[in-house]
Amino acid sequence: MSTIVIGLSLSFLLFLLAAGLTLIFGMLGVINFAHGALYMLGAYVCFQIVNWTGSFWIGLMFAPIVVAALGAAMEMAALKPVYERDHIYQLLLTFGFILVIEEAVKIVWGLDYKQVPTPDVFSQPVALFGSQIPSYRLFIIGFGATVSLALFLLLERSRLGMVIRAASSDADMAQTLGIDVAKVRTGVFALGAGLAALGGVVAAPLVPIELGMGFSVIIDCFVVVIIGGLGNIRGAILAALLLGMARAAGFTYAPEWVELITFVLLIATLMTRPAGLFSRKGRAA
Amino acid sequence: MHRRLFMKTSAAAALAAGLPAAPSLAQEPADFHIAAVLAFSGAYGIIGKDMRQGVEIAVAERQGRVLGKPIRISWEDDETRPQPAVQKATRLLANGAQMIFGAVGSASTLALQSLADQRKVPLLVTISADDKITRVGGSRYTFRTSNTLGMEIRMCVEFAKARGLKKIYGVTADYQATRDGWELFQAEAKKAGIGIVGNDYAPLGNRDFSVIVDKMAKSDADGIAVIITGNDAVTFLKQSGQVGLGKTKAQFGPVLQDETLAAAVGPASVGVFSGVRYHFSVENAANKKFVEAYRAKYNEWPSSFAGEAYDGMSWWLDVVDATKSWDREKWVEAFRTSTRENSVEGRKVMRTCDHQAAQVGLWGEVVEGQAPLPPLTMKITNTFDAANLFEAC
Repeated sequence: MSTIVIGLSLSFLLFLLAAGLTLIFGMLGVINFAHGALYMLGAYVCFQIVNWTGSFWIGLMFAPIVVAALGAAMEMAALKPVYERDHIYQLLLTFGFILVIEEAVKIVWGLDYKQVPTPDVFSQPVALFGSQIPSYRLFIIGFGATVSLALFLLLERSRLGMVIRAASSDADMAQTLGIDVAKVRTGVFALGAGLAALGGVVAAPLVPIELGMGFSVIIDCFVVVIIGGLGNIRGAILAALLLGMARAAGFTYAPEWVELITFVLLIATLMTRPAGLFSRKGRAA
Repeated sequence: MHRRLFMKTSAAAALAAGLPAAPSLAQEPADFHIAAVLAFSGAYGIIGKDMRQGVEIAVAERQGRVLGKPIRISWEDDETRPQPAVQKATRLLANGAQMIFGAVGSASTLALQSLADQRKVPLLVTISADDKITRVGGSRYTFRTSNTLGMEIRMCVEFAKARGLKKIYGVTADYQATRDGWELFQAEAKKAGIGIVGNDYAPLGNRDFSVIVDKMAKSDADGIAVIITGNDAVTFLKQSGQVGLGKTKAQFGPVLQDETLAAAVGPASVGVFSGVRYHFSVENAANKKFVEAYRAKYNEWPSSFAGEAYDGMSWWLDVVDATKSWDREKWVEAFRTSTRENSVEGRKVMRTCDHQAAQVGLWGEVVEGQAPLPPLTMKITNTFDAANLFEAC
């Protein structure tokens, strides 16, 4: 049972990491290579806020907003002109964002590791099913579930979500109907960047905050997105659950095979359902 | 006629005898050029920075000169990859570098070693720990003044014995050098009557140790051997700290903690034990002098990377200076039989069989520091004898 609980925490952390990436691709058709860099930036901004205020919760609230604002600026200044061009330009541009963000982080915060402590309220483990489960992991499960539900409701059940989906599926028609498609795209990119940063903030008490942290997470994000289906939020949730549970089981019984298990799942998906295990044609959420 | 020819020939011979000897391999260049190929970017960038600072203190102490010439160091970033390391070192050797200093990552160092052997150029290593770098029958031109992984693994065993640990659960980074390290630890622990109750190999770059930590917590181990380092070590300790694993089981590892890593872990690092390659608190005259000079220049405590780089480079330059020669083969011969009595870590003896410096093993525990010490600092708890840490030549 403890493996299941740990698996759930792995799953929701993976979802938080991957949600922004799948959202941006689903709605904008842009594969955002800078997703890992935005995740890293979220962690660093959280560190700075915690340093100033002493509060992880203020960091959790404001770091994603700061990075979302930066994402909006990036989209307006650089991405907007290349939407109509070949995908290669978008890939190169988002790759360029990585280099810029990393250099900026190096200049502002230097090369040293940074550290965000676990909030005091989660300092003690909880005894569950014969194991000592870090209470922060239970927070990740609850918070991740809340975010995934909120995202799903936003995109599926809200008017704003309807507008976003309309702009995504037929931009010209949406524009004709009075929707400012440019603003929608900026908003979506900002939301995706904010979600990446949120992943960084949530991961910050678990991992060292350092320059390479974005690179180490981007592969996992792509694996979740590909297994779940590009642009499919529901698929991303299910894929994250599948991958998280597989990893938890892998670490329990055969830790040196965990990476292999991950990529076997990926390859099996690409061979059997290349659109994603949980994709449905026409759905974006 | 014959007499005139004889006179001309004799004069020519006399003139030739008076000329200086044709230039040998030991022709004096304008400066002593060191090709320093280190990591200055990425995850190891901070190591390269600290090493540079240590070397600069070593050079400044001798007024920037050796063999009567100024020391010129060309610093290059190998990006922690062997190919850029070799490319940049090759270019610097073509520009007249007399030796190579580096690298940080063992893969880069092994690549530089091949280059050093081809070009017959000394390679000074002060941080890379892979045992293959210095071995019997290995490179004539490579010298390591710092620890090896094998030495550090044996320190772990010595610690386990000293601490009276009976059962160990291990976690090991899943790459060859650390797998070899774990195999050595298992073998040595078994000889010492210490039981191994479990071991997990974690992928390099693993971000989640929760399942492994859970298994450790549920086991009856009294010690946790952590054969991982760097970011992975920080991740492990942060996550084991969230369940208080260190409260019931001694966590230790060969290069698990120093001030930089402890700061990255936070309060969960207190009580963790680790091999310490160099520490600013070691009490001897040479170290005191180095630490004072380092703090005066950089306003920070020297890290293990800075200390090892300073010590290795000082030793090397002193030996080169004593040869009074620009013949690199003479440097190699002199260094391979040299002893550093005034090392910052105590006495070091260069072993002729493998060009590895035999030295004591420093071992410490992370404790809370009082100003002006860092908030989390290493306290040296054991100094292990070199005889127990190296296989006989």
